[in-house]
Amino acid sequence: MSPTYVYGLVRADLAVPAELAGLDGAPVELVAHEGLGALVSAAPTGRPLGTREDLFAHERVVEQVAADVTVLPMRFGSVIERPAVVDELLAPHLTELDAALADLDGHVQYSVKGRYEREVVLREIVAADPEIAELRERVHGVPEEASYQDRMRLGELVVGAIEERARRDGGRMHEMLSAQAAASVARPSSDPEQVLDSAFLVPRDRLHEFEHAVDQLGTELAGTVRFRLIGPVAPYDFVAAAG
Amino acid sequence: MTVASQRGGASGGGVERYTGGGSSGLADVVEMILDKGLVIDVFVRVSLVGIEILTIDARIVVASVDTFLRFAEATNRLDLYGKGKGGKDLPEMMQGITEGGAKGKTGGMLDAAADKVGQLLGGGDEDEEPEEQPRRRPRPRERSRERER
Repeated sequence: MSPTYVYGLVRADLAVPAELAGLDGAPVELVAHEGLGALVSAAPTGRPLGTREDLFAHERVVEQVAADVTVLPMRFGSVIERPAVVDELLAPHLTELDAALADLDGHVQYSVKGRYEREVVLREIVAADPEIAELRERVHGVPEEASYQDRMRLGELVVGAIEERARRDGGRMHEMLSAQAAASVARPSSDPEQVLDSAFLVPRDRLHEFEHAVDQLGTELAGTVRFRLIGPVAPYDFVAAAG
Repeated sequence: MTVASQRGGASGGGVERYTGGGSSGLADVVEMILDKGLVIDVFVRVSLVGIEILTIDARIVVASVDTFLRFAEATNRLDLYGKGKGGKDLPEMMQGITEGGAKGKTGGMLDAAADKVGQLLGGGDEDEEPEEQPRRRPRPRERSRERER
């Protein structure tokens, strides 16, 4: 019994940095088979996984390697018996994993999120829609219980207006940033104020251009939309489930 | 990634950054490694602690009634004549971006941005998250149970 934690898959010729430490500080090694390698360490035993430290340890291992070479990052909590790393993980999936690495080679991922500044956008929405402005006047100063129906209607209209605007603005932002990327994914969002939540696969030689495009958006829309840029990180959103 | 931390100072205004590698941002990490990443069916099931809560945090779905009332209240409290940070019409600005191309509008922001990145990388509290995130709200299921009582 030797439970082994798998962080990600790489080309077999990777030289693992000596100081690379995984869960519980365990040394990270490369288990290679043919041209493929798995970044692994001993899995902690006797306790469930999932502490804050565990999550950061997983990500740190992936990102330290991904800084230089392409990594197929595994989802958190991938544990397997040591002999199975080759017999069940690498050997049977050699072709598709190799193809996935080849596809992503030379690319990193950025995630870009944008949220409306609530007050600014609400003000515009109230100004643009007479029905909303009127409902707003009507509930003003009336206790919540006494104006429940009006409030529901007001909220529904406001949320609808924000969502419509977010679809339009977000679509244009996504399109603009896609021009600097090899591939992109728009993630579904249940938050009306989230105008943009997209992942972009960017060639390593275009990082500067991509970041510049995001900075430009951030500068132009400062005060209206707040952006978060996450990356460069391993291509988490661009690894499909494999058999 | 180290590449990004070194380049981080060159960011423009209005963009907050997380460069990966554990310098901040538990929520970002959770979203990436719990929700995304390669899944292959050969792995054994391990018991995970805290994952349920974390996953729910990352994928929170706010019931629409709550959302409507929340935005109604925000609209109600709105100071229509107050000075917001913005003021420029959004479609107009988007127009400007699309047409304006890559003219150097970021120049003056560099110093401020460098300061901000410095704070981010220089051991800021990891728990710090942007305000107004709905993820700490009670789950809709729990809420409706409360109402039934």
